[in-house]
Amino acid sequence: MSAHQKNRYENDYKPDENRNKGASRWSHCRKRGADGSLRKSHAIEEPGKCSQHSGRPESFTTPESEGPVSRVKNWGDEVEAEEMRSNVRNDMHRSDSRDSRDSKESPAKGDIETDETTLIRRQKQINYGKNTLAYDRYIKEVPKHMRQPGVHPKTPNKFKKYSRRSWDQQIKLWRVKLHAWDPPAEEGSDLQQIEEIDLGEIMDFELDVECSADTESQCPTSSGKSLSLAEDSFTGTPKKMMKTEDAEMS
Amino acid sequence: MDSAWTAFDVVTQTMLQKAFDDPKTVDLEKLSNAIVDQSLKDLSFCKDAGRMCYAVVQAEAQKAATSVFRRNLLTRLQQEFTAREQTRNRSVREWVCLVTFICSIFDYIKVNNAPLVALVDPVYDCLYRLAQPDALINEEEVDCLVVQLHRVGEQLEQTNSQRMNQLFYLLRDGFLLQEDLSSMTRLLLLEILEFRASGWTLTDTAHKRSKEYFMGERSGIPV
Repeated sequence: MSAHQKNRYENDYKPDENRNKGASRWSHCRKRGADGSLRKSHAIEEPGKCSQHSGRPESFTTPESEGPVSRVKNWGDEVEAEEMRSNVRNDMHRSDSRDSRDSKESPAKGDIETDETTLIRRQKQINYGKNTLAYDRYIKEVPKHMRQPGVHPKTPNKFKKYSRRSWDQQIKLWRVKLHAWDPPAEEGSDLQQIEEIDLGEIMDFELDVECSADTESQCPTSSGKSLSLAEDSFTGTPKKMMKTEDAEMS
Repeated sequence: MDSAWTAFDVVTQTMLQKAFDDPKTVDLEKLSNAIVDQSLKDLSFCKDAGRMCYAVVQAEAQKAATSVFRRNLLTRLQQEFTAREQTRNRSVREWVCLVTFICSIFDYIKVNNAPLVALVDPVYDCLYRLAQPDALINEEEVDCLVVQLHRVGEQLEQTNSQRMNQLFYLLRDGFLLQEDLSSMTRLLLLEILEFRASGWTLTDTAHKRSKEYFMGERSGIPV
């Protein structure tokens, strides 16, 4: 996980500590911390998070607002969100101009996902995957023109129209596939077991799930052993620090 | 910027140099704190500190693909901003440095060539504070106000013209109604009022008139 996300979980364990390292604007809005314990609902005093708007409690939200977001924001978070938004918009313009020339890759004009919230959410998920050492090693090892469909993971195209479940599943599968490029660890037999997985198994699994995108329960059971091993080592995957989005790499 | 970094001690200078060459090997949080600390004491430094910071931000983005420095810088800046009233009470000089520094950051650090939206309201808040009657009687604060408006006024207005209008109502009121202002202050206020009125550029007439006031060839309060 990126350091940004890692900090968010760390914050959940220590709700009372003064934190000025990348506190996510969402972290204090969750009712329960990651350990399941109920968080205090009143605002925790953080640098820059004083109540500047009097008369309303910190927890005040309206249905029209963006959701459970604190009214006073952390500048670091805000700037990163701005950056992501403008990167996504730049991506959109880039893909617009590419449309007519590269129809194999891009969806037809009418079928482009344009909702900014969705695009940003998808881009975040893509960023988490690209922020891994596995991804770094993968792109160094396998240049784009050498990639074989099915064998080599491909970043899902955020501009294509998909249902939420379908998209989330594609991301999950993509990340599982990327694990094949995890750096070798000193300890941990689970990583070695990953390498033993027959790629054929993974391909079958992928076909299974794509046909029935509705039932998520299919996921853990269909290919049994190989996927549960992947899930085990998921949390152990070495991650890099949060990085800014650079040009689309895959 | 080349002379700016000589304000630092040798250790920090080395850190800064390394940050350009290989950002991953440097404690960027420490570096950002060093820059902020220096900016709050040294008025001549903080004008250009924004440029230095932007250089580090870009180096980190290009060479390490992270944004640790920027994030730390902004967090620290936010802390200082939140405590600005206490800072002003403690030392007007430090307060003026803080405003200069925040505006410098706003001026130089861009995201995909756009100004930092997150800093727009804080900058306005600072300028509003400088336009209050108790600040207008200090030439140090007035000077800061007009200098910053010269630097970032146009950009600020583009991002939020309503707040700029309100700010200028305050300035106009101060100029016309406040009795205890020095003549230098009045001159500076007049100049900035005209500067904005002519689209954030210096017209020849305005320039000439400022000079005349300064030389004492004109007197009295123009309306």
